[in-house]
Amino acid sequence: MTDRSASPEAVHAAVVARGVTKRYGATLALDALDLEIRRGEVFGLLGPNGSGKTTFLRLLSGYLLPTTGRLDICGHDAVRDSIEARRRIGYVPESAPVYGNMRVHEFLTFMAQLRGMPKREVGTAVDRVVEALKLGAVVDKPARTLSRGYRQRTAIAQALVHDPEILILDEPTNGLDPRQIIEIRTLIQGLAGRHTVLMSSHVLGEVARTADRVAVLLEGRLLGVRAIADTPDLEAWFLSLA
Amino acid sequence: MRLLTVLLRKELLATFGSPIAYTVAAVFLLVLGYTFSLTLFATKVANLLYIFHQMYVLTILLVPALTMRAFAEERRTDTLELLLTAPVGEVWIVLAKFMAVLALVLAVYAGTLSYALILEAYGSPDWGPVNSGYLALLCHASLVVAIGLLMSSLTENQVVAAALTLGTCLMLWFADSMSYLLPPPFDSLAINLSLIGHFKPMVSGSVFVSDIGYFVTLSVLALFLTTRRLAER
Repeated sequence: MTDRSASPEAVHAAVVARGVTKRYGATLALDALDLEIRRGEVFGLLGPNGSGKTTFLRLLSGYLLPTTGRLDICGHDAVRDSIEARRRIGYVPESAPVYGNMRVHEFLTFMAQLRGMPKREVGTAVDRVVEALKLGAVVDKPARTLSRGYRQRTAIAQALVHDPEILILDEPTNGLDPRQIIEIRTLIQGLAGRHTVLMSSHVLGEVARTADRVAVLLEGRLLGVRAIADTPDLEAWFLSLA
Repeated sequence: MRLLTVLLRKELLATFGSPIAYTVAAVFLLVLGYTFSLTLFATKVANLLYIFHQMYVLTILLVPALTMRAFAEERRTDTLELLLTAPVGEVWIVLAKFMAVLALVLAVYAGTLSYALILEAYGSPDWGPVNSGYLALLCHASLVVAIGLLMSSLTENQVVAAALTLGTCLMLWFADSMSYLLPPPFDSLAINLSLIGHFKPMVSGSVFVSDIGYFVTLSVLALFLTTRRLAER
């Protein structure tokens, strides 16, 4: 019989990674990563392109599976109990994908149904995220016609529509103008507490303004984890590690 | 089952909303209408055997254009990440895509029922081979669609997916030609792998369980491999 039980620490933490390694053939993308993310915090992943941030987020989202190691999502093993683990996450990939042939309302309804929401709750859930993400002006437009900013908001809305415990955002402010960046940052800060938010970025200032704690990744290795409040000079700390 | 319905609705919207679908359907029915008229006026025989063989060939040539987008497009636009990170088994994603494309092919086939009705109006066709012919085409379409989905799951490039599907179907079509060059038991294997070898008896009115078994087994195998491919993460 498969052991699906989680360790006591995994039950209390949103994410527990123990020795998580990911290989793509001969390439080592993530090297024996150990990390614990607390419930309700905004956690930032910092590192240059190719450092393993997206790989780690894809492992958390269930899109990839670890080569070795154990990954618990809200107490559920991401490999053996993958469906239950995936139920608890909302994921926004870096490119903010949407189904271009659907209208925004249709897309959000589809994603809510896909996440297994009861039929009677779907309408209310869609209305809630449309309001929270200020999508009212585009709700009846085909998703392929959206601007970059609205597209990003729609992608975040689909990740929030089933009210997940963990929200995973891969480079959420990439390609946005300053006003849109501020809006997304405010939104993320507003989600803290109710949701655990994991976001990746290669912009130090962005993580410093948004996250409670930050981890630095380089060439697939975790170099350090610090609370933003305890790190007055994030740049100096980052340079001392990298 | 509810998840399958949700996914199927999405796939039907994408499949029937695509201009590729209407182009393929138009070409299919135009070519068939032309040949049906020619054959009918030339032979004045009330049967659809020639048309069924033509549908067999057109299915191999045109269905890859319908299946090539299935996974390749989702991979290219990153929407596959949305599907695979949802709490849904890969098998439902594959089944929904399979059923949607098959529904489109069957809708196109349904357009050819008018030929049977024309024969009935002006002659006395033998309905046995007509019914078994459509059964053969259903089996054939299932297999080509399943192979198309498998190939689409292997690559991000739609043209490569279509070319691989076409190549695989052509190899299966002519598999029995290889038998003369192979030693036993591989010669029997080549004969039994032949697509046309299992299609021909059924389309002529002889329905054997072994022929249906061939199409069902290969279709299920292709769908299983597609599911495995999606589960490889």
